[in-house]
Amino acid sequence: MDIITFGLISASVILLSSVGFALIVQVEGFLNIAHGQMLLLGAYSGLFLSNLGLHIIPASIGAAIFCGLVGALFYGLLFRPVKAKGVLVLLFTSVGAAYVIYGVVGAIAGKRMLAFDLPLVRAMKLFGQPFMTIYELAIVIVAIAVALCLHLFLAYTPAGKSIRAVADNEDLARARGIDPLRTSYLVWFVASALGGLAGVFLGIMGSLHLSMGWQQIIIILATTVLGGIGSLYGVMLAAFVIAFGIEIGLIFVPASYRSGLAFLIIVVVLLVKPQGLQALWGGGRDRTH
Amino acid sequence: MEGLILFAVSISTLGAIYAMLCLSLNLESGNGPLWDLGIVSFFGIGAYTYTLLTADPALEQQSFLLGLGLPMWIGAIGAAAGGGIAAWLIGLPTLRLKREYFLIATLAFAEIIRQVFANENWLTNGVAGIYGLRQPFKSYFDAADYSYVLLALTLCGLAFTWYVTRRIIASPFGRACKALRENEPLAITAGIDPQKTSIRLFMISGALSGFAGMFYVWYNTLIIPGQFVADLTFFIWAALIIGGIGNQRGALVGGFIFIFLHDSLRFLQVSGEMAVAFTSLRTALIGLALILILRFRPEGIFAERPVRFDLPALKREARDA
Amino acid sequence: MLEVSNVTLSYGGVRAIDDVSLTVAKGRIVGLIGTNGAGKTSLFNVISGFTRGDKGSIRFNGAAIENVRPSEIAQLGLVRTFQTPLGFPRMTVLENMLVFSRADAASRGRIFGRSKPDGAILEQAMATLDEFGLASRGNDLVQDLAAPELKMLEFARAMMGDIKLLMLDEPAAGVNPALLENLTSHIRSLRDRGVTFLVVDHNLKFISSVCEEIYAMADGRVIAHGDSADVIANPDVIRLYVGTGGADNSLSKEAEA
Repeated sequence: MDIITFGLISASVILLSSVGFALIVQVEGFLNIAHGQMLLLGAYSGLFLSNLGLHIIPASIGAAIFCGLVGALFYGLLFRPVKAKGVLVLLFTSVGAAYVIYGVVGAIAGKRMLAFDLPLVRAMKLFGQPFMTIYELAIVIVAIAVALCLHLFLAYTPAGKSIRAVADNEDLARARGIDPLRTSYLVWFVASALGGLAGVFLGIMGSLHLSMGWQQIIIILATTVLGGIGSLYGVMLAAFVIAFGIEIGLIFVPASYRSGLAFLIIVVVLLVKPQGLQALWGGGRDRTH
Repeated sequence: MEGLILFAVSISTLGAIYAMLCLSLNLESGNGPLWDLGIVSFFGIGAYTYTLLTADPALEQQSFLLGLGLPMWIGAIGAAAGGGIAAWLIGLPTLRLKREYFLIATLAFAEIIRQVFANENWLTNGVAGIYGLRQPFKSYFDAADYSYVLLALTLCGLAFTWYVTRRIIASPFGRACKALRENEPLAITAGIDPQKTSIRLFMISGALSGFAGMFYVWYNTLIIPGQFVADLTFFIWAALIIGGIGNQRGALVGGFIFIFLHDSLRFLQVSGEMAVAFTSLRTALIGLALILILRFRPEGIFAERPVRFDLPALKREARDA
Repeated sequence: MLEVSNVTLSYGGVRAIDDVSLTVAKGRIVGLIGTNGAGKTSLFNVISGFTRGDKGSIRFNGAAIENVRPSEIAQLGLVRTFQTPLGFPRMTVLENMLVFSRADAASRGRIFGRSKPDGAILEQAMATLDEFGLASRGNDLVQDLAAPELKMLEFARAMMGDIKLLMLDEPAAGVNPALLENLTSHIRSLRDRGVTFLVVDHNLKFISSVCEEIYAMADGRVIAHGDSADVIANPDVIRLYVGTGGADNSLSKEAEA
């Protein structure tokens, strides 16, 4: 029962933090290491708003919007100008951006561990067993709702369709009258806002500390690889595989191996399926050796 | 004044160690085709191998494997061998992967290895680490002068690394690695086997990084898992990018510049809360420097230079022979 | 020299190559024509080992190579080119030549090979570059070469190693008539020095002028084979080329010219 509960909760947070990352991979074609720090930024700005006396719900929304704006700003200021210089430059620009966020948050907030000041609640019961608290349940529901909304958004709205078109083929999308620039800003806003929200949730579930961004980006990377780089639905599935894999694995190894376990899972998967989970539904490419 | 000089000697030593790692990274990722985000694994494994081979046996309150108290030169060979063998083991499964996947897989292994260092007390004494490690030739010198000796030794190590990487890059093997970086399918038609070439290259880099790990142990006289976090990998990459990826001199200079940027502020003594803010701002500054370099000078301080041959001189040589 | 027998390759249900057999005799220049998607490049990929075929056997100089790694096939002297000649962009022309040289191939296995190439090898490289009109470009980066120079470099580097069979993938694509003449004469002169050719191209005029023997492919099968003149005159082949129009109308273009 514990495994199901914890697995569900951590899958939700992993899902929420990874879909944004995957969205950027899909549209921009690089691994945005700074995404982990969006979680940090989200958590701390959420805490800041909540300490101002805001209720946790508007505080989370505010933090998410703030992160979204920072993400869009970063895109315009840092990433768009170097896009032509290749993946490696983009990747390490994002490493630089990650250090900037990390450093600035650290300078303002300090190294102490912090926590959201939420009223304590008792876990709800399911079949007579303690199941999860109202906060945890809300996190799970929000994460699943977000995944569903993202799917509907991408599949049915004009803005969502434009995102998919740009991801598939930017030139073709432009020829069809889609403005890739506006689409990119939209992607960065949505992705970073989701990252910020995931950060708040991560803070609610545990505590806030400066290394949470670095720790989570490692899990995000594992999820993205497992899902197959750039495959959004693969990532959604992978979030659950990783989360439950970790919870089950923790029966056998100490908790300090948490992210190591995530990586062990992907190493094993990559050995069997070098293209990640998406290889299960086609999309494998020719290899040269 | 004397304090300032000692501080300069200390960060120069650290800079030389970083420069070794930069040269090693440049060999595989600058000249070669491997985007390695796990260079810290081999650095750490080299350092731990060296320590376990040369340290005295574990005391009662400690626990770690071996502690053979072997001579340092055996430790040096062990450090390089440890790094090389680790690279072989990691390379076997991961070198089949595409670049982005390789990048993440190497980062993954680095994280797993760090967690092993931290959790397996019987092997490494866990997070408590191993303290009071010996430094070479310490007894021959006055304690006050020893930092100069250590700097000299580290510079010798750097010179060795420089020579080895330079020789390899100029050799047909190095050329094959560069060809793989540039155009893998075409390199295959030249008879270059990507698998074999890459694993060999990965092992050499691993061995050189492991070798650098030994100097890090000498520098710190202690070893803890926290020294080998993924941050270090990103730092080395940042240093190489600032210096100039694909250029030997860039790698050399990048290591020193990075350390001067990162650690020179350490000399300013500030207290408490200020110090925390200071460290954080320092990290932000490094990030900003990296962004600016990539934006305005992505080739780094020293851009990669084409390998040119002095044709008239070669003609003369051929005629004389 | 090269015997391809009954090779088949399917991609997700589509048969890219369907039971294809062909033979290339030593010292010949053999052409392979067909419309886009006829399976020519797929066949190249299978022969050179880049893609593994589903069925069939491939023998090169008597040795079975269908399960040999592509780099080893290249070492045997069976070398292919790619549709877009890129070379190694950020390496100099001479470095590009050295990578393909016998000397490099021989000492690549040692980590500490000689750090300065042998003077004689560089001499040979320079002489070859001279022959292909690239003498002044030796120390320039390949990314700075013009498209015709890149084409010439493909031939020049082939002279550096022990190439026995050179498979050219659309050498005439995007090449102007003057350069095409040049290309034809280089292929002939390389042949006279012992290199056998298998050439894929759309340009029928070029293929029929340079090749002695032609295979025609459509939908993954060989539909015609024989002397150049016969295959070009084959009604099936003509129908194929004239009938497709659109993307691939080389023959009609040639007819207008």
